[in-house]
Order: sequence, then C-alpha cells, then structure tokens
Amino acid sequence: MHNKGKRVMELEEIRDIRQRKRVQTILITLLVVGLTIWSALGTDFSVYEVFSGLGLISNFVFIDLLPPDVSTSGSLLGAILETLYMGFVGMVVGAMIALVLSFLAAGTTTPHPIIQVVVRAFTSIIRNIPGLIWALILVASYGIGVTVGTLSLILGSVGFLTRVFADTLEEIDTGKIEALNATGSSYLQVLAQGVFPQFIPGFVAWSLYNLELNIRASTIIGMVGGGGIGFAIQKGIKLFQYKEVSMAIILVLVLILSTEFLTSKIRERII
Amino acid sequence: MEPILKIENLDKVYPDGTVALSNINFNVYPGEFVVVIGPSGAGKSTLLRCMNRLVEPTNGNVIFKDKKINKANSKQVKQIRREIGMVFQNFNLIDRLTVLNNVLHGRLGYTNTIKGSLGIFSKKDITEAEEILARVGLSKQKYKRADELSGGQMQRVGISRALSQRPRLILADEPIASLDPASSKNIMDHIYNICTEDKITAIVNLHQVEVAIKYATRIIGIQNGEVIFDGQPSQLTDKVIDEIYHDRRPPLVHAQ
Ligand SMILES: Nc1ncnc2c1ncn2[C@@H]1O[C@H](COP(=O)(O)OP(=O)(O)O)[C@@H](O)[C@H]1O
Ligand SMILES: [Mg+2]
Repeated sequence: MHNKGKRVMELEEIRDIRQRKRVQTILITLLVVGLTIWSALGTDFSVYEVFSGLGLISNFVFIDLLPPDVSTSGSLLGAILETLYMGFVGMVVGAMIALVLSFLAAGTTTPHPIIQVVVRAFTSIIRNIPGLIWALILVASYGIGVTVGTLSLILGSVGFLTRVFADTLEEIDTGKIEALNATGSSYLQVLAQGVFPQFIPGFVAWSLYNLELNIRASTIIGMVGGGGIGFAIQKGIKLFQYKEVSMAIILVLVLILSTEFLTSKIRERII
Repeated sequence: MEPILKIENLDKVYPDGTVALSNINFNVYPGEFVVVIGPSGAGKSTLLRCMNRLVEPTNGNVIFKDKKINKANSKQVKQIRREIGMVFQNFNLIDRLTVLNNVLHGRLGYTNTIKGSLGIFSKKDITEAEEILARVGLSKQKYKRADELSGGQMQRVGISRALSQRPRLILADEPIASLDPASSKNIMDHIYNICTEDKITAIVNLHQVEVAIKYATRIIGIQNGEVIFDGQPSQLTDKVIDEIYHDRRPPLVHAQ
C-alpha cells in the first residue's frame, strides 16, 4: 500500500518534471536561435562565405595535403614514438600519483576528513586547468620538448585519475571493509587486502582509458611545444610542407586507433 | 563463573537523533549460545556492533574479559577485536580473492602489517585455515574465487574467517537471513556445533523465533532498543513473543 502510493507520487513528480523540462527546452531553443541571429548580424556572418570557405578547404585538402609523402614516414616515426612515450609515461606516473591521492581523497578510505578536503581541492585545481595551458606554462620554464609534453600529461592524468579513482573507491562495499576491521586488521592491511582487490577492475579500466586520452592530448600538446608528432605537424605547417603534415596525421590516426584496439583487448582480458 | 562480556547501561543515539539502544544491561557467560530476537529496526545489529565497537556507543560500558572496549584506544580496540569473530548477513567476503585468502583474513590482526598487506601468512596459519575449511566441508573450494561460491558456501567461508581468529566470542548478525531454508539449517548447525565443540561463546541475531528456540541456551528479546525478555527458551511463551513482535509474528522463513 505504502509503496504503491509512493510510486504514484513518483510518477506524478516525473510528469511534472517532464512538463517543466519541455517548457525549458522551448525557451532555450528560442534563446539559442535569437542569440545566433543576433551574433550573425553583429559579426557579418554570411552563409556564402562558409561555402566559399568549404571550396578553399577542399582545395587545401586535395591539392596541398594529398597525397601524403610516404618517404617522410621514417623521420616521423621517431616523433610518433615520442608521442606514444609521452602518453604512456604520463599515464603510468599519473596513475601512481593518483593512486595515492585518491585513497586520501575518497570518503571510504581517507585517514582524516581534513586531508580529504585538501586533496580534493588540490586535484580539482589541477584538473580544471587544461593540459594545453599546462604545456604553455611549462614551455616557459623548460623550453620546447618532450619534458614539457610528459609533465603536462602527468598533471592532466593526476587530475583526471584522482577524481575517477576516488569515485570508484567511494562505491566499494563498506560492509566488506567492516568485516576486515572486525578481525582487528590495521588500516594498511584493510586497504591492501579489502579495498584494493575491489578497486583493481576500476583502476585498470580507467588507467587504460586515460592512456587513450593522453595519446590524443599529446598530439595537441605537442603543437604548442610539447614535442613528439604534434610538434612535427606544427613545424610542417609553418614550413608549408603539407604532404609531410598529412603523413603525420595518418600516423596519428593509426596510433590512436591501435591504442584503442589494444586497450579494449586488455580491458576484456582483465575484467 | 566470571562473565566474558558485560553490557552496562548501554545507550546508542545515532547522529540523526535515532535512539537505537536505551539502557541495555546484561552479562554473557562463557559457553553460552545467546540468540537476540526482535523485529526489524529493534536495534539488534546496533547492539552487536557496539560489542566490537564497529558502532561507537553513546553511553555505558561494553566490557570484554575485563577490558572496557568503549574506553580502549585504537590499538587496544584492534587487539580486543582479534578475539571476537564476526559473521555477517551478506557474508562480506572479498570477491576477487580465493576462499583460502578470505579465511586467512582472520589472521591479519596477528600478522605483521606489511606481510599481512601483501597477503603473506605463516605456514602454521595456512595449515590451520585449511583445517578449518575441511571442517566446514570446503576443502575442494579453497583455491576458488570467493564469488564463485553459492550463498551457503560463502557463509561457511565467513564462519571460517571468524574461526581462524581463534576467537573467544563469535558475533553473528542474521547469518541466515540471505539463505534458503536448507542452507540456513546447515549454517546454524555449523555455528552451533563448532561453538559447542570449541567452547566459543556466541551471540547470534536472528529473525526467526523457531530457529532461536531450537539452538539458543538463552534468548534476549529486544524491542525499540530495550531488552524486554531475557531468559531460557522454555520461558519464551507465545504471550512474550507477541509482545516482542507487537502482535506481528515474524515469518517462519525470511522472505528471499
Ligand atoms: N547508521 C545509522 N544512522 C542512523 N540510524 C540508524 C543507523 N543504523 C541503524 N539506525 C536505526 O537504528 C535503529 C536500529 O537499527 P538496527 O540496529 O539496524 O536494528 P535491527 O538490526 O534490529 O533491524 C533503526 O531505527 C535504524 O533505522
Ligand atoms: Mg539488523
């Protein structure tokens, strides 16, 4: 009886929310259309220009970029390996640091609530500064190169992984933790024997996903001075060597797709 | 005989204001098989969890072998907990570890922190864990992952983990509430026989009055956080049962 009443109430509530949502959607659509027209007028946006631009783009793609210059692939290989290296080291070092930080940041495992708040605030700041900005800041002190790229990726990985690791840790079954506490285990033993086994699948899955993110990001970060294939692309653009650039882009695609393929295989095996 | 456990004027008020226990007093003597009964929400789990301080008592004392658990520092609490095994309704095994490893968790309190963290246990502990598993009929399963077992088998691992502590006292919080009737009987038989043979004192929360009467040497009935019955199973009349359950007889078999 009680449950049924509750369900009816919930249904009504959902209908209410839906109705409110619908009104909201209409309002937002109108607002977006209005703003678009207003800004198009303000910036002299014209559809004609967009299409003539498309023409230019296709000229650029088919005449300047294609066909890719395969003979450069040898020299680009070093750069692509650098990118892979940055992404991988960024993930491994980032995951190690995030592992420690996340145990401090998760409510279920933190030794003290104040530590939790401090670590959360610290990693939230790191996370909310994009890797690109880190690279720009670091280039100023380390100069162009792989060091900058790797450091930026480590920082990005620490920010991202600490958050998702901590969320994973907060979802683990606290009953199991209590069971170990009830045997008289120490804090470290409970973490290692009770928390960690429950945490491994999430740890592996998120770290592999982070590797994918890093490989994508390392291309972009490379373009602002982080080294690797991104830097090669940027150099090629500056020197108008577009056929080399297109070769580099193809290598990036191959790298990204093969990482995705590999990580998904590993994920399947482990989880 | 000296009581093994003394509960004195125990109160528990949760931070949200819920009064879970008020003024609980009783002594438990070595060798007793005490069953605590009462409707859901009566405070049975809170009472049991105050005994090993998984729940912090608000007032009063819990004294285990002359040591006040409620006054102990965290190191002393760990030492006291080593002698008190606990068995849970949801088994609370670590799924991805082996059965044997789960049993050995009962030895963590006696093992060096680093070794224990790495899962390195002494030969003696391992042999003993294997003997315990043989006793509950799980020798063949010892290298299986805990989540590959059936509910009844999982609970036997839960009992084994508690036994590997070589406890003086076992606390069991509704150990059969998640099991089918056949496994329930098997689990209750194991707990009862082992505690009797090894002279381990037991305090078991149960939902089913019939099961309580079958095994208990003493029954404590609680309602709304107060003890309203404390005596021999033979003294537990229908009138008292009705009183404990507010005229709501509990189901014979807990709903699955
Ligand atoms: N962590 C908690 N916070 C607040 N109230 C709680 C908490 N745990 C239990 N309670 C409340 O305390 C009372 C006793 O609960 P519990 O000891 O679990 O009873 P039982 O095991 O007999 O079902 C209930 O009213 C329950 O809602
Ligand atoms: Mg309970």
